Amino acid sequence: MSKIPLEGIKAISFGVGIVVPELGKIIGQLGAQVIKIEYAKQPDFMRTITPDPNNSPGFNESNRNHKVFSVNLSTEKGKKMVRELVKTADIFCENYRGDVMERLGFDYESVKAINPEIIYISSQGFGKDGPYSAHKGYGPTLCAASGLLSIWGQPEDEFGCGGSFPHPDNAAGWQGTMALLAALDYKRRTGRGQFIDMSQAEVAASLIGEAQLDFTINGRIQKRIGNRNPYAAPHGCYRCKGNDQWCAISIYTNEEWESFCNVTGNSGWMDDPRFKDLASRLKNVDELDSLIEAWTADKDHIAVMHLLQGAGIAAGFTMRAYDSILDPQMNWQKNIEEMDHPVAGKRMYPATPFDMADMEFPKNTPAPVLGEHTAEICRDMLNMSDDEIMKLKEENVLYLAEEKESS
Amino acid sequence: MSNEQEGALSGYRILDLTDSRGAYCARLLGDMGAEVIKIEQPGGNTARNIPPFAGDDPHPEKSLHFLYRNASKKGITLNLETADGLAIFKRLVKDADVVVESNAPGYMKSLGLDYEALKKINPGIIMAGITPFGQDGPYKDWKSSDIVDYALSGAMIGTGFPDGRPTDMPGSPGDDAVSVYAGVSIVTSLFVRGGTNSGQYIDASSYKASRLFLYPWGLVMWYSNYEADRPLPAGEGRLGTMIYPIIPAKDGYVRVVALTPGQWEALLRVIGEPEVLCMPEWKEFYYRIGNADIMYALIQEFSTKYTMEELAEMGHREGVPIAPIYNMEGFANSPQTKARNFFVELEHPVVGKYKCPAPPYKWSVSSCSIRKSAPCLGESNEEIYCNELGYSKTELASLKQAGVI
Repeated sequence: MSKIPLEGIKAISFGVGIVVPELGKIIGQLGAQVIKIEYAKQPDFMRTITPDPNNSPGFNESNRNHKVFSVNLSTEKGKKMVRELVKTADIFCENYRGDVMERLGFDYESVKAINPEIIYISSQGFGKDGPYSAHKGYGPTLCAASGLLSIWGQPEDEFGCGGSFPHPDNAAGWQGTMALLAALDYKRRTGRGQFIDMSQAEVAASLIGEAQLDFTINGRIQKRIGNRNPYAAPHGCYRCKGNDQWCAISIYTNEEWESFCNVTGNSGWMDDPRFKDLASRLKNVDELDSLIEAWTADKDHIAVMHLLQGAGIAAGFTMRAYDSILDPQMNWQKNIEEMDHPVAGKRMYPATPFDMADMEFPKNTPAPVLGEHTAEICRDMLNMSDDEIMKLKEENVLYLAEEKESS
Repeated sequence: MSNEQEGALSGYRILDLTDSRGAYCARLLGDMGAEVIKIEQPGGNTARNIPPFAGDDPHPEKSLHFLYRNASKKGITLNLETADGLAIFKRLVKDADVVVESNAPGYMKSLGLDYEALKKINPGIIMAGITPFGQDGPYKDWKSSDIVDYALSGAMIGTGFPDGRPTDMPGSPGDDAVSVYAGVSIVTSLFVRGGTNSGQYIDASSYKASRLFLYPWGLVMWYSNYEADRPLPAGEGRLGTMIYPIIPAKDGYVRVVALTPGQWEALLRVIGEPEVLCMPEWKEFYYRIGNADIMYALIQEFSTKYTMEELAEMGHREGVPIAPIYNMEGFANSPQTKARNFFVELEHPVVGKYKCPAPPYKWSVSSCSIRKSAPCLGESNEEIYCNELGYSKTELASLKQAGVI
């Protein structure tokens, strides 16, 4: 029995952007074979953000572990080849809006007619039905529409602006993966495939469930509270020495507070009536925060974290990519690996994330360049001869990357 | 009660020993149909004390956090630090498929309940340990919290306005990350076990999971500017609304995604093609970023004539994604939320009837939905201890007396 969890599982992906490619990357890390259907002349828009479509860092991260089949779906011959691939697939995933998949003949009903046990996941910004179902959904607009952005920011700002990253895209990639794997196990047990309709806006909304319940149960519309917490003080992100370096600190109990006062050499704060218990600290939180920032301001952010953690206090600096490469725990967990991409060259990427004692995971493979695996898939999966492949290339049905050995 | 239908994970039993971190993992397994038994110490799980509360009444059955993250679960009480409690837990492990726990590294081993011990009782058992920093390594005994998880995830340094402070993210992103990560690992292990009959140990940490769940691109984006013989590229900063502008509407704000030339032209059509913004230089994305203040002032004049919904509709028609920034009420009452029945009605013995967000997907064959409201303390004691393990009601009373349950 193989120790690679999803060995032998085949997925066809019509995913573009982030969510569905991420899902493909993750099941690829678990050993599934993932084939991305992408015509090189209408590439995944994520390739078009950079001048060279083969050197888009985001694309090259999210599309690792994919083989690409570059086929022109406006031709009947192209569609027929994809239908052949679908016949032996276990999983089909896509994130095209509206009726695109129907028009191509790869909506769930059409795919199911070819492969009745298929597990088909459709990931849409707003889900498959409802008045916004045809609206384009990008992470930043979904943060807005889910209510999250209204509470994500500092209270004194005109509006909350959230993060620079496209939440909930990656979260949705993981949520979709969990659903897909549960459906795969259900298929193993019952022989039944199914259709899963995921709404990325609902992924964002379901991660702030407490705030939603505060409205549905208490009728309270939560507001932005920045880095404060109504149940902990101090609780914030404090400026440290250096350029734009910070350390987050949270203290919930009196025990933690006393430990903090001792380890920072401010034992006088313990007897200060302004800070004697949580209620007092919350009441005088502005003064408290200024005192703490006066203490952190001339100290190294990483040293502050180590000092406080050593005293049993939750603290962590605002880590950047470069810090993660140097971090002892990151390295202990082997969270980062180097990979060589034919165009991008050697770069650092997040490593295979899984930590399951008795399993083995295949080596991650770099994201495909345009048309990279077209010929290989034709030969190995569709039993086509080189002549047939070249003929379809000339007819503009297939796009082939230039093969190194054929020069 | 909602759906009694079969789910993808129906037939599996999960023993949930988590506190606040990881509770959402077992909740997701329950939504997918697994039978989840939350095991709490006789005094109740500490997550029951997390505010806010229903009706702002600090009552152990009314924590919104507990209610949300423990729906779709049964609940029993059991003291693992007693000999009888340990023996009962081992009996439960015999017929369970998964144990999820969130104790500090080493605690389960100190009770004789580490994976090696559980495997002897049930070779097929899958055990997931959920912690802030992992079971091993230099940070394993460190403490964390939502804001600390977020700072270390790599995403917080990029959150907020450029000249402002890095800003926390609402909810519990580090918890959610590790919960879904552990969920993926558990379901994979169940799938594999179907062929091998053998279980698995899963080490799941927020430290590892949160950067993958929030922004794995951080590393590759920075590294794409790295060259071995050059000075290090600048570290990440906060981009605020430079890439994804927020503009005022008549009744609130909307967020716009206008990255490509096509999307920018569509945005111009939405706001009535004001001459001043139709000048060619505005077509350049970097010009717009460099002159964002002027651009906003110009856009504002036009955008405030329309409501958020009108702007979203017009954006959709013209080809530029625009979304209303809903508050909680706006989201709950939005036509999309209602059309998809995202909020389902639950009934809880103490809280009464209330509406709760459902899982973010709809499945065509097996059901994925909230099975029941969160358990009251010891709600399923009789069902599990008497009906299943065969204790009499008198024995149950003396176990309670002795502090075992």
